[in-house]
Amino acid sequence: MGTSIARRSFLKIAGGTAAATWLPRGAGAQSPIRIGFTLSATGPYAVGAGITQRPNYDLWLDQVNAKGGLAVAGGSRRPIQFVEHDDRSEIETAVRLYEKMANDDKVDLLLPPWGTAMNFAVAPVANKAGYPMIGPTVGSLKLKDLNLPYFYAVLAQPDAMMLSLANFLKDVKGPQKLNRVAVIYVNDLFGLEHHGALMPLLKDGGFEVVEVKSYPLGVKDLTDVLKGIKAKGAEILVGLSYPPDTILATTQAKAVDFSPAVFYTAVGTAFPFYRDRFKGGAEGVTGVGAWNPKVKYPGARAYFDAHVAKHKKEPDRWASAFAYATLQILEASVGAVGLDRARIKAHLDATEFTTVVGPVRFAKGVNSATPGMVGQWQKGEFEVVWPPERATAKAVVPKPNWQ
Amino acid sequence: MNLALLADVAAGGLLLGGLYALIAVGLNLQYGLMRVLNVAHGEFLMLGGYLTYLLHVNLGMDPLLSLAVSAPVAFAGGVAVHVLLYRRLLRQERTREELEANSLLISFGLLFILQNGALLLFSADIRGYQYLDRPLRLLGTVFPTNRVVAFATAAAVTALLVLFLRRTLTGTAVRALMQDPVGARLIGVRVPRVHALCFGLGVGLAAVSGSLLSMLFELTPFVGLPYTITALVVIILGGLGSVGGSLLGGLILGVVEALGVYFTAPDLRMVISYAVLALVLVLRPYGLFNTMARRPGQAGPA
Repeated sequence: MGTSIARRSFLKIAGGTAAATWLPRGAGAQSPIRIGFTLSATGPYAVGAGITQRPNYDLWLDQVNAKGGLAVAGGSRRPIQFVEHDDRSEIETAVRLYEKMANDDKVDLLLPPWGTAMNFAVAPVANKAGYPMIGPTVGSLKLKDLNLPYFYAVLAQPDAMMLSLANFLKDVKGPQKLNRVAVIYVNDLFGLEHHGALMPLLKDGGFEVVEVKSYPLGVKDLTDVLKGIKAKGAEILVGLSYPPDTILATTQAKAVDFSPAVFYTAVGTAFPFYRDRFKGGAEGVTGVGAWNPKVKYPGARAYFDAHVAKHKKEPDRWASAFAYATLQILEASVGAVGLDRARIKAHLDATEFTTVVGPVRFAKGVNSATPGMVGQWQKGEFEVVWPPERATAKAVVPKPNWQ
Repeated sequence: MNLALLADVAAGGLLLGGLYALIAVGLNLQYGLMRVLNVAHGEFLMLGGYLTYLLHVNLGMDPLLSLAVSAPVAFAGGVAVHVLLYRRLLRQERTREELEANSLLISFGLLFILQNGALLLFSADIRGYQYLDRPLRLLGTVFPTNRVVAFATAAAVTALLVLFLRRTLTGTAVRALMQDPVGARLIGVRVPRVHALCFGLGVGLAAVSGSLLSMLFELTPFVGLPYTITALVVIILGGLGSVGGSLLGGLILGVVEALGVYFTAPDLRMVISYAVLALVLVLRPYGLFNTMARRPGQAGPA
């Protein structure tokens, strides 16, 4: 916050000077490109924001400024400056800050906050002010209904993501004779929408759903729910979860000795933290995703190495790479058409981008080039196991017992 | 309805309730004695958890053994906080309302400082370790081993505290001060010392609870506040200033929550807690087990 105040007074002085003395046009070319965003540094979203988004924003800032700045079409390179705030995981705070950045600060570009509900709330603000915004951590079909032409989603959305999960489950159902599914989901837009997308698919797949329970964000205890699910003989557990509850569900499933053939959890499963936390216990756990440095897309390995070099920790194996990809897309767009936001939008609509997550192409604001995927921890790597054409390894089902 | 499963769920709630009780006792000791409502209680709990985490992960110390470090460190820290922040406030003769309001402000400040300090120090990453997380077969069902161990430890610590309050001269002074501040002063209880001791004890108990909870749940700098709220519910349930009431209140809340969640959904855990709270406030406003209403010295302004 201290820097933002300093920046504000700097701008005041700079603005005053500019008004008093007429500056030659060339001087403007050296001024930084101001990019605004909020990320949750505190509150329940801070974990995801701090693992998936923040490190990639910082890495990209370093990389671009080391090259002398962001290349702007028809001009020279200009350094990037972040105008950033902590939204404290409060949606109304984020909305207020985005309104301020768009309407008062008049930043050049906006980057999104972390999480489905956050993106959902600030997308209309960015859209109204004409800022293209590419969300790396948003999974919501309702976003389409809002009709926001300036908002783009790079992850596979709930329908695609859950379709891939259902197809994966159908694929293992026959040979493994698995039928009984239990679903738990976090009572947040992410969990609600994925639950909504998954249930009809499970029905179509002929699964017997033995238990469906929702739980609140920040839940402390799931042992009783898991004991109940175990008592009902579930062979497949699907947890449409956020990072803290992903860890919680795994810890507690282990502690009540519930080890179904398929143990699937959502956001957080792909975090290296998960692997390091559970060590052998992570083996065979499936999760939403996925990405790993073995994928054959240009720059994937270099991105992984740069992330490790800068942050001394590995990127997560799902949305981190997608977060970085959104920045690559933005960089490419500004390089092609400059900072005119309407032209950036037109470029986003018409272009296929090459990124560390493979080709990305937006159809009505949703990345149509990346299918939903399922990942699985196997010997320390989060392997892509579904769909087959994207797989980096074959799925192991049933998963080994907790170790 | 599966009766065995029901008993199982209730027993699970009881285990967690034991920890609720320990958390609440520490907070109640501070409030009952000084009318200092320390809403940063959960933050001290969080710091205790991080201390155990660091000792276990970096030095390989057994988390249970780490209590021998976290408890005295937190106690000393608590005494220091009391001397630095609360002593002057308590020394000034004010009305109880003023004291409560000002001490609340101080503890809110502490909450933000400790939480954000932890955020700077440890980042928002989730931290945790594996400790006794194998299932334990007990009475024909399974319990997480670490939960049973944490419960047993909490019970032992609480028993020690009760012994201290009942059997030692200092403990008697604490109880005397709780029952009648003026009378205790008259017979020569050194009030500032007992205050500092009890604040330190409260913080120490919070840290011990945090160390135990870190065996069961993951840590982030934000885990504290929900426990403060749980502790408040327990205190009101059991009665302000009543140690025994906090113990029973904690166990009851644990069981009611577990059963309530089992029959409805985890979504409703807070609703269930608050419903219990509201019910008690309506039916027994001084708490289920409190005799405060019968003590004229405490009922009015001190």
